[in-house]
Parts: sequence; C-alpha cells; structure tokens
Amino acid sequence: MSTVDTDTIAAVATAPGRGGVGIVRVSGPLTPKIANALTGRKLPPRSAVYCGFRDGEGAALDRGIAIHFEAPNSLTGEDVLELQAHGGPVVLDMLLGRVLSLGARRADPGEFTQRAFVNGKLDLAQAEAVLDLVNSATRQAARGAVRSLSGEFSKHVHAIAHEVLELRVFCEGAIDFPDEDIDFLSESDVGERLASARKRLSKLRARARQGALLKDGLNVVIAGAPNVGKSSLLNRLSGEDRAIVTSVPGTTRDTLDADFDLDGMPVRVVDTAGLRDTGDAVETEGINRAHRAMAAADVVLWVVDDREAGGSPGGDACTGAATIIVRNKADLSGRRPGSISPGAVRICALTGEGVDALATEIKQAAGYRAGEGIFTARARHLDALAAADTALAAAAERLVANYGELVAEDLRDAHDHLGAIVGRVSADDLLGEIFASFCIGK
Amino acid sequence: MTLHSETYDVIVIGGGHAGTEAALAAARTGASTLLLTQSIETLGQMSCNPAIGGIGKSHLVREIDALGGAMALATDAAGIQFRTLNASKGPAVRATRAQADRTLYRKAIRHMLEAQENLAIFQQSVVDIEIRKGRVEGVLTAVGLEFSAPAVVLTTGTFLGGRIHIGLSNHAGGRAGDPASNALAERLRALPFAVDRLKTGTPPRIAGDTVDFDRLKPQWGDEPCPVMSFMSDGSEHPRQVPCHIAATNAETHRIIRDGLDRSPMFAGEIEGVGPRYCPSIEDKVVRFADRASHQVFVEPEGLDTNELYPNGISTSLPFEVQFALVRSMEGFERARITRPGYAIEYDFFDPRGLEPSLETKAVSGLYFAGQINGTTGYEEAAAQGLLAGLNAARKVAGSAPWTPGRHEAYLGVLVDDLVTLGTNEPYRMFSSRAEYRLRLRQDNADLRLTPVARELGLVDASRWRRFEAKRATIERAAAALKATRLTPGSDLCARLEARCGETVAKETNLFDFLKRPGVTAADLRAAGAVAADIPAVALEQVEVQAKYDGYIRRQDREIAKLKAQEAVMLPAELDYESIEGLSNELKEKLSLAKPRTLARASRIPGITPAALSLLLIHAKRLTGERGKAVRPEDRAPAREAAPAGERAARRSA
Repeated sequence: MSTVDTDTIAAVATAPGRGGVGIVRVSGPLTPKIANALTGRKLPPRSAVYCGFRDGEGAALDRGIAIHFEAPNSLTGEDVLELQAHGGPVVLDMLLGRVLSLGARRADPGEFTQRAFVNGKLDLAQAEAVLDLVNSATRQAARGAVRSLSGEFSKHVHAIAHEVLELRVFCEGAIDFPDEDIDFLSESDVGERLASARKRLSKLRARARQGALLKDGLNVVIAGAPNVGKSSLLNRLSGEDRAIVTSVPGTTRDTLDADFDLDGMPVRVVDTAGLRDTGDAVETEGINRAHRAMAAADVVLWVVDDREAGGSPGGDACTGAATIIVRNKADLSGRRPGSISPGAVRICALTGEGVDALATEIKQAAGYRAGEGIFTARARHLDALAAADTALAAAAERLVANYGELVAEDLRDAHDHLGAIVGRVSADDLLGEIFASFCIGK
Repeated sequence: MTLHSETYDVIVIGGGHAGTEAALAAARTGASTLLLTQSIETLGQMSCNPAIGGIGKSHLVREIDALGGAMALATDAAGIQFRTLNASKGPAVRATRAQADRTLYRKAIRHMLEAQENLAIFQQSVVDIEIRKGRVEGVLTAVGLEFSAPAVVLTTGTFLGGRIHIGLSNHAGGRAGDPASNALAERLRALPFAVDRLKTGTPPRIAGDTVDFDRLKPQWGDEPCPVMSFMSDGSEHPRQVPCHIAATNAETHRIIRDGLDRSPMFAGEIEGVGPRYCPSIEDKVVRFADRASHQVFVEPEGLDTNELYPNGISTSLPFEVQFALVRSMEGFERARITRPGYAIEYDFFDPRGLEPSLETKAVSGLYFAGQINGTTGYEEAAAQGLLAGLNAARKVAGSAPWTPGRHEAYLGVLVDDLVTLGTNEPYRMFSSRAEYRLRLRQDNADLRLTPVARELGLVDASRWRRFEAKRATIERAAAALKATRLTPGSDLCARLEARCGETVAKETNLFDFLKRPGVTAADLRAAGAVAADIPAVALEQVEVQAKYDGYIRRQDREIAKLKAQEAVMLPAELDYESIEGLSNELKEKLSLAKPRTLARASRIPGITPAALSLLLIHAKRLTGERGKAVRPEDRAPAREAAPAGERAARRSA
C-alpha cells in the first residue's frame, strides 16, 4: 500500500457479483487523460454523462455513465473518475483492464480512503475509523496473500526471485569490483541464466492466468461444534450432496469443499470437522485442519444449534476473518428463519429457509469489509509478475546491446517487482551476497 | 582561570580528509574558522593506501569538486598513476582511480588550507568540548587554551579509543604512529551518544629496492591520462609511474594458516567488526580456502620514496609471520618490511544519532564527520567533512541546513544510509548502493551540484565561469542534435544507416536516433552529422543523456514519489511502541532510528507499505492539521495533540 503517492489508482468500487450497476473508480493525476481516452470527449466536471466506453481500438466496451470530479472537490481530494457500467464481473474486469492499460495501477486495499485522509477529506474524528480500516485492510491483504501464495505458487516466485538475485550478484559484482581477478559470469552465461529465468517466469504467468495455482474467489469456511448441521449447510449452499450427513457427532473427519456461484461471485465453501476435545487421532487431525482452514478464510460461517444459548466463536476459533453467526435448526427451535442482526442469521439447512438471508450476509462480508475487494491480492501478484517479465525482457535486449549498467537496472526493476510478492532485498543484502560469493577486497 | 581565549564561528577538530574539507568549506562560505590538529605536518595525510577514487568513490570526489572542495584538485596535483575503471561499461558506472604521492598530496592540501581566507590553523590536542544547556560553546586544549565557537565539527577519525594489534600484543594508538585521543574519547563517551567499536587493518610496507620488479606484471595508467577535477586538464599531474601486480601462492597460504593461532582476530582479541569488502589476508585464506592465489597490487608510496604499499595483504598476524608471508611471494624473496601491518580498533558513534546535516541530535552546534561516523575511506570522509563544515557555517549564519537527496548525489546516499540505517561495519560507498546511479554519474557531478554550490557560497567565480561555459556548450549540442531532422532517403540518413547498420523508417531527429543501442556519438561525428565546433566533451554528455533517456524518466517517476514521502515529517514525539499493528521488530528499529520523514522510514529494512500507512496516519493525528500533509512548519504542538493522547490512553486501557 503506497502512502503518499503520485500514481493514479483504480479499482472496482462495488461489491463483487452480478449486480445491476458496477462502478469503476479512478483517482490521481492521470484521471483526466484516462477519462478522455475512454470516453473520447472532455467531461464537464461533476456532471453525469451517458456515453460509450471504448477500448484501445476505439470499439465499444460498454455504455454507461461517467462522472469527473475535479481535484480537490472529490472523494479523495484528487481528480476522480467514476464509471458506472453494467455490473457483471466480465464487463467490469474489461473496463478496469482498460483503465490500467491507460497508466493507472490497481489500488491497494483501503487506498482510496487513505488518500482521502491524507488530503484532508476526512476529519480527525474519522481518523480512528481509518486506522481500523488500514489495520483490517492489512489483515485482509495478508490473508489474501497467504491464500494466493500458498504452496507451489510461492515456491515458484521465490525460485525466480533467487535466479534474478544471482544474476544481480554477477552484474553488480562486475560493476563494483572491476579490479578483482574474478571471472564474474561471462556474458553468454548471463544470457543463458536470464533466458532461463524468463522461461520460468512466463510459464508461471501462463499457469497463474489459467488459475492453476491461484485459488480464486471467496473462501468461505463453515465451522462450529460437532453435529450443529455444518455438512447439511455445505450441501445446501453448493446444491449437491457433497458431504455425508448423519446424526452422529464427528462424522466429518476431514475438510471438504465445494465450489458454487453466488450471484456471479465464485465461492469456495469449505466444511470442517466439528471442534471439540477428542482422543481420536484421526478426528484430532481433522480439527487441526479445520483451524488451518479458518485461518485462511475470508468469511467464517460459525454454525450453532438454535436451541442452544450463546453463539460467538471463542478462543482458538477467533481468526480475524469476517464471521457470520449461523443459528441452524430453526425447524427444531421453532423460531422464524431470516436475518437476526448484521452478522447473524437463523436458517434451516434442511429446508433451505433463511439461506437467502445468509447469502446476502456473505456478500456483505465479502464486499464491504475492506472498502475495496479482497480479490486484489491475487490480481496484484499477477500485475507484479507481468511487470517483472517486462523488465527481464528489457534486460535481455540491453544485454545483446552490451549495456551492462542498463541490464543491472532492469534486473533491479524485475527484482523489485518480484520482491513486492515475496519480500524486497536491500542494497546491503545484495552486497552481502556478493561478498559471500566472491573473495572481494584488497 | 583561562590562560588565553579566542572566538571563532566554526571550530574543526582534526586535520584529516574530513577535517580539512570541513574547514575549507566553512571558510569558503565566509565563516571565521579554526582548524585544530594534533600535527600540522600530517594535515591531509593518507593513512591507509596511497590511492584516491574507485567505483562509487570517484563519484564522491567529483561531487566534492563540484562543491568547490579540495580533494580532486589535490589528487590531480599528486597523482602518479591514473586509470578509468569500467571504461568498457556505460558512463554511469565509469570511475577514476589515482595512485597518489603521499608527500605531494599533503603539500597540495596544506597549500590550499594556507591560501584559504577566513581560516586559521593551530596545532594542539583537544581534551574537552564545552557544552552548556545542550549547546556547544567551544573547546579546551591540552595546555588549557580555550577556543569559543557556536559550532564545532569533530573529525577525529580512528584516533578515539584507538587500539593497535600486531599479533597478540596490542597498545593504544591512532593511525600510522600518531597518538590516540584518549582524553577526548573519555569525555565523549560521557555524552549521550551511542558508541560502538569497528576494526580496520593495513598491510606491512615494503622497501622497493628489495623487490624484483622484473618478475611482477607492471600496470601503467591510461592514456590519455584521466583527471579528477573539473578544473584540471592533466597538465597538473606529476611524472607518471606504474603499479605492479603480484600474487600469493600455496606456500603463502600455508604460512598464514600456520600462524592463525597467533592472529588477534582468530584468537578473539578483537571485538570490533571489520569490513566485508576489505578482508585481511588471513580472512581471505580461511574463507575462500579453495583459491590457490590472491592478487596483490603493489602501489608506490610516492615519487621520492621507494617504499611500497602491497594492497591485498592487510594483516594483524605477528611480525615474524608477516615477514615469512611477504617473502613467500614471487619477486619478494629478498623483500624487507619497513613498517609492520596492523589491525586497529577504534570507537565510532552510531550515525543514527545525527541529523542529515551531520549535526548531532543530542548537542546543538556539534557536528560529526568522517570515520567517527562509522565510514571508511578518504572520499567518504572528505564528502562528509565538506557537508558538516558547510552546515556548521550555515547554522552560525542563521541559514537552513543543506543536504542533497539520494537522487542528487552519492553524498546524499551516503548521509541518508548513515543517519537512517546506521552501520555495523566500516561503511564504504559502492555504486550498487545508489539506486539512481544512472543519473549520479561522475561525468555530470558538476551539472548536478555546481549550481546549488554557487548559491551556497561554496564556488568561486573562476569555477563558476568555467561551469557556465561548459553547460552552455552541452545545451547547444543537445539543441543542435534535436533540431537536425533525419529524413528517410536523405543523403545524411543514408550515410548514417550505412555506418550504423540501422534503418530509419520514418522521420526522426539526431537525438532520438542516438538513443538506439547501435548508434554512438562517434558515428554521428564520422558521418558528418554534427557541426565541427561542437566539442567532444559536450557531444559525449548529450550521448549519455540520449542513451539513458527512458531509464532516467522512469527514475524520475520514482523520485517524484520519494519527494512526496520526504515532504511528510514524522514528529520526534511519535511513540512507535504504542502504534498498534507494527511488529515488535519494526517498533524497535523505528524507535532507534526516529526517522525524520516518511521517506526515511520507508528505507528501514522490514518496513511494509501497510506499516508506512500507519506511521502516516499516526503522524497526522499527532500534528492534527486538517487539509494538508504534515510539513515542517506544522511541527509545533498541535491543538488536537492532547485528545489524541487521551484516545491512545483509552485504547490501551
């Protein structure tokens, strides 16, 4: 999350899903230029203009309403463009993609609000809320990163970052220590290694784009004590008989998942073993897995038996994810299914009553918690990989032309972009690598 | 009871590279300045190897020169072998290195000091710095003389608490036979500065008439001979001589390994941390055991002496081991050592206790520069000295301090690294430390810094006239290239296409054509594309601008971000411990560094963008100004400070 920034940022401002109208919001100095390129006209300030949104070739992406708020009279205090388009995720993705291609970058979680704060658009009384937002956005982003970076993906990015680091060690070593009688890689070796890093990176990008490595969509985890109806809820939400449902507590031993579509938003729902103290080794492992699943969740559905008192998850079960209390078995308690209060619903998983209200709660929790969507972590990682790829291509070109210092500069750029995913390496760390690899010094 | 007292604007303690540049800079701006040194004979002494410059370092020397300093001019007057490093690589990473005659170098520096207006030199050890109510008031010397000044620059190098190790014996001492300043060290240790230990070393020196040069590889300087200063043309150089290259061998390494039990480093006698890039020969042999040989540069100490400096075998092994290892090298079988090598441990002050002006945070008017701040190298010391002397004089004159940014000068990188990150080894400049090195070139140091130096009063009329003329030719050359159209099918275009193997598909101009990797300024000249009256130096400068154009523009965008973060001041009273959401490690680092701006905070290792957001918001809450970023003028206690504090208390309750 950049803090004080001259970048122009953009994001889909409405909740993910198939709403009627979706909004793409843009803020920053490039806004007028972007508005112009997109609509083909100069927008009068603060007026809703119905117009076409055009792609790079001038073909229509969509028609909708564009509003230009001039700095400082806007939400963020910067030039802001609001594009109201048809709300489907595909249209909004294309529109956002077009805005990004015009020079904006994807906004970080909470970034619009933060700019508003920095530019004095929020008063001090709202500062507390902003702090909470930043904290929460950070947690959200961290969770997003954990999910997106799980396992294989993270391993591949680390491996590429390491290859780039080694290349930098050779290039920077050759620049800073020309008098050493050390054969820093010959140019052909640098070329080969560079080609290998590029090949790995483009393979990773291709797989990442296909979604092979990145989990996508909203991660909803069903948790609670044994035998409160978690598996029935999984079956109800996914619309299939995925889980075995019995009246025996502890039937679900492992996590189980199913994908479904919630108004256009892809959702993966995970059923977990009921949380209780048990001596059964298999069940204990299932419970451990349940805790891990909850740690990676965007939304936790905490299921309780409506006939019992209490509700909130306590102790270990508290993860910081958005939590919805689901009071199940309304048929047995005899109370009316539906919304109870924000973050709490009563349902009957067997009959499906109250599940609509639950769906609304899930959308709320997913869309509005962090101000901006929680899918940005994955998208940002893909952006970073693309930028690293571009930088490595430039390095290869400069290597052919024999501009060592520009190769080094492009490698630094690529390394920084990869570092945005797996952690940056400082100049001093780089020097440390050089000194560890070669005998430097007179 | 005072025997004698005098008053100055600025007092500089120490006559090394930092002290002399500090005194000269302060005096150049018009401050009445006193330079106090333990010995006038050693003003401008090169206490380690007799060379100036190198990668990253000659960049600093050129910057000192662009700011009107002495080091480059003295090097041109004393250099006996000049080389351009990285000549085959791009201009941003080219550097100049010179062997210097120690005596000529001292003479040149002393001459400049004596010729400087407003500058008095006095030989006396300083035993105390007078401080009242957190402000410096003057100094006291060994025989009880009192000198008053509202600003004092301390540049005592490795003399503070110096301890010299040769084998397992050690004694107190400063560099190269000078006494250590222990009285002053004791006094300074009592002040609220964080003190730590560092270590560095030198090789044994060797009598040249006992070395068989025919069996060593000579290394001559470059032709035409490079110069260090923008004011020089090469006619300043004395007679040029070669260096020689020798090598250690298996026998040398065996001797070293056998002597390790008597090495103070390996026996744990030395607590200070040595530099990673300048290891002792025993270190190299142990850490890189697979290497059969290490290079040794045999550098002449001067024209009038046959003493040699064997660069590459710095050691603190006992003398008898030094003797054997030297004689084991080819060409050194009869060699006689003139001075033993040694390791020296010394005190330095954690530079995070400094403002970017190099004024100490704890004592107003007291400035630190050079090795005392944990750096190594003449160039790093001289650059800091110039900055500290300038800012001391500016403080006395009531002017705001000046420090260049990371994107403006290597000097800016040096100071920013020191005051933000501190150091745990002697800090040396490398080009890889400068993220904007494509713009921080040695060839354009004057274009970057001389205009501001003129405003700061550091540059005299003759340098300024010369600079203005140079700048005008470069601008004319750039304008001429941009104005020359290159139309496909024209004679000129055909000549250039044939020469460079390029194709011009649509009309362009010479400047844009020059951006292509396959095109050089020499090609333009050879094809008759540029007027004969455009001098080569101007054409080269324009070529560099063209080649780096896209990269520099990308860096400009990064720099714009950096500047925005630099404009956000973090109040000194910001309590990092109480900021929720920061990791404990970051809390500790931030509390120690107390970064002045958000930009500095962003360079603390481990900081995340989210953590920066938190700092920004807390800083803003503390200053409580609505509607604008937190700037220096907002730093007065703010109206909402109290309620914010109450809120914090509530939250923690």
